[in-house]
Amino acid sequence: MSRLALALAALALAGCDDGRMRIADGPPLVPRTGRPPDQLSHLRLFEWDAGAFRYNDRVVPYDLTTPLFTDYALKERAIYVPEGEAMAYDPAVPFALPVGSAIVKTFYFPRDLRRPDEDLTLIETRVLVHGQDGWTAWPYVWNAEQTEAFLRVGGETRAITFIDAEGSERTASYLVPQRNQCTSCHERNVGPGGAAAMTPIGPAARYLNRDLDYGAGPVNQLAHFAERGMLSGLPDLGGVPRAYDLTEYEARGLDAIAPGELDFAARSYLDINCAHCHDPRGTQGVTSQLFLHHDSTSAFNLGVCKRPGSAGAGTGGLTYDLVPGRPDESILVFRVETTEVGAMMPLLGRSLRHDRGAALVRAWVAAMPPVDCNAMEMEMEEEPPPEP
Amino acid sequence: MRTSVWSFSCVVGVCLLAGCDGGSADFPNVDCGDFPARANCVRVASGDAAGLLDAVNALEPNTVVILGSGTYVLDNQVTIRTPQITITGQGMMDTTLAFGTATSQINGIDAVSNGFVVQDLTVLDAPKDGIRVENSVGVTYRRIRATWTNEADSTNGAYGIYPVRCENVLVEDCVAERSSDAGLYVGQCINVIVRNNVVRGNVAGLEIENTQFADVYGNLAENNTAGIVVFDLPGNPVVGRDVRLRDNRILSNNLANFAPGGTVAIIPAGTGTFALASRRVEITGNTYTNNQTGDIAILSGLVVDTDPAVWDLAEADLIGDVSGLGLPAGTMPGTVANFRTENIVVANNTHTDGGLSPDVSREFGLLIRAVFGERPVSSVLYDTIGESMFDPNDASMNSNDNRICAGGNTGGNGVASLDVPRQLVSIGSPILVIDTAPFAPFDCTSLNGGPVAPVTLP
Repeated sequence: MSRLALALAALALAGCDDGRMRIADGPPLVPRTGRPPDQLSHLRLFEWDAGAFRYNDRVVPYDLTTPLFTDYALKERAIYVPEGEAMAYDPAVPFALPVGSAIVKTFYFPRDLRRPDEDLTLIETRVLVHGQDGWTAWPYVWNAEQTEAFLRVGGETRAITFIDAEGSERTASYLVPQRNQCTSCHERNVGPGGAAAMTPIGPAARYLNRDLDYGAGPVNQLAHFAERGMLSGLPDLGGVPRAYDLTEYEARGLDAIAPGELDFAARSYLDINCAHCHDPRGTQGVTSQLFLHHDSTSAFNLGVCKRPGSAGAGTGGLTYDLVPGRPDESILVFRVETTEVGAMMPLLGRSLRHDRGAALVRAWVAAMPPVDCNAMEMEMEEEPPPEP
Repeated sequence: MRTSVWSFSCVVGVCLLAGCDGGSADFPNVDCGDFPARANCVRVASGDAAGLLDAVNALEPNTVVILGSGTYVLDNQVTIRTPQITITGQGMMDTTLAFGTATSQINGIDAVSNGFVVQDLTVLDAPKDGIRVENSVGVTYRRIRATWTNEADSTNGAYGIYPVRCENVLVEDCVAERSSDAGLYVGQCINVIVRNNVVRGNVAGLEIENTQFADVYGNLAENNTAGIVVFDLPGNPVVGRDVRLRDNRILSNNLANFAPGGTVAIIPAGTGTFALASRRVEITGNTYTNNQTGDIAILSGLVVDTDPAVWDLAEADLIGDVSGLGLPAGTMPGTVANFRTENIVVANNTHTDGGLSPDVSREFGLLIRAVFGERPVSSVLYDTIGESMFDPNDASMNSNDNRICAGGNTGGNGVASLDVPRQLVSIGSPILVIDTAPFAPFDCTSLNGGPVAPVTLP
């Protein structure tokens, strides 16, 4: 944020207390065009009050069955749909939200991940706004006093130290993405004629289909949205798709996954963590021809005995994206395990290894019936090239 | 009249971004007044990295961003997603964007912007690519240097100057050094001029990949693993065509290959130029000196990926102009293939001191050494894949179905054909034919479909 704008904001607000707005002041104020206000509180979506998130009416929190990993940050998510309107259920793609809606996600760290409700520090809040001309994304960074977050289009990189689930101290080089970097995950070829367009990722049936306690015991989130009049067209819950819920795995490890569900669990993890790019509609990952969306069926596109496109340092000296039964020979496993800049995947949002996630991908590859990719290639090489 | 518009904008820019303390001391060589065609001007004070990131994330279309002299130490990339942007420093040796402390996998400058111009600055130590411009129409790189601190370091970023999936691209008077893949890479682009650049210390110096209508001239490629190369990768919907490499200097490209992986890792040091899986390429008037594996190789894509099915391209997905190419059918219905290399002219080049010591650390170099033994490697090598007739004892029996034209070259060691198809069938000594003038049957002078036309940019 520029100094002049800061100065103007300070001038405009002189005489007020700290310039903060409260959710009690009125309904959310989500702009349908242009740049949103510099202070997050002026959107009146939620407030952070002595360790708790408090929401305005029509702003409803939710969790995902399988979340995207972001350097162990915990995330508080909520969705706002204007009064009198609703998002439209879809079994396959993220729900269509009415213009004027917003999706808000706050990234925060507890001092100790083993006590995730204590000693919390909010880092940033990302706001996806559905304006008249489509979706726009805006990063807000929380101040040291934890009283307000300010629009910071240039983002920030910050060292964050915390105690992990095993009790070890870890330090993330945490990236608050700059505004223009939001496209790297959220822009997909889903616009008219396959054109690139910004789109939400999380609010889709398969990720939302789980329980959350809204104060009166656990209820299905989709049912809750429908009951609030914010979701139309929800079918009987028995017919709603669901991604594997990795909450239990995150807590207990591989013991939490039934043997017959390893593939389902791993594919759900790859879907949310990789398929925003590694999908035929991903603007960045399409050239790799490695497609990791949950309903990708081609063994080649899942990386089996496939040579990478232009992975460069990302290969780790390995030859194939995925060698069944041999995780140590699979580029996919190498790239989710490594923390080497230039090789690790996903491209943005992690400086640390996601231990649980990497272990799941490794176990998935190890459990596949072994294939000798080199032998397959030798067979092909022994055939003479055809006369064109 | 325009002057008053920009000067007003600039005053605002200074205040916004430099707190009115930037002053002209930061902008000794280049300032807002140099860009009367841009409606807006934003100046970023020397060294204000956070101000730079804030500025590029809040741009109006049709804006010039002026960077001051000195170094901006950045931990995130300069991301531009606004059309008609010019970003300029005070000069290649005066303004540096330094990314050595970045901890994310970022590029230096990463732009998607129609009508984008970047000039007069250095990008140093980008974790991935120096200056990547993607999916944009009208792109100019001018007097840019993309480099890394360490020589021949496999952890350096992949590409220096990297326009990809762009149309109407001009790269001129730039320097690209020390990248672990290609220094100056033009990929999947249409209508390109690359002129008067210097590429040195890279694995591949200058690479034209899956690109249509490219004119590459007046460049110096020195001390890379490979100098200037043209090829198609399989599976890419832009079928390369109509590339002119002319009047370039390709000197002493003998740097040991330091690529950490990828296609370029298989290139032997000492390679001047190759055209691989390419069509309608003219390699003329270039100077080749002291490239120790060989100066020019003409190779089928099947040499790199032997499975023809990998080269299938759905006709419905093709991008750009494939008219008149007569691409062969692929292995599946509705597909064509782009592994074939055909319609290549190699003429009027000058060869000196090449092919005396092939790099046997790579398979291709080993093969060449096995074929030539202690003899100097011929200046032009052709793999003959796809020829219907080839007689190891009589060059005139070569059918030349691929229409390879080689002639009028000065110095060097002539043209050689390798019977690679037979080598692939039965492992043994590859059969070699070394032609003597008039290089029958290669003494054609023109391409089917006429000569490659010069490129004009709008």
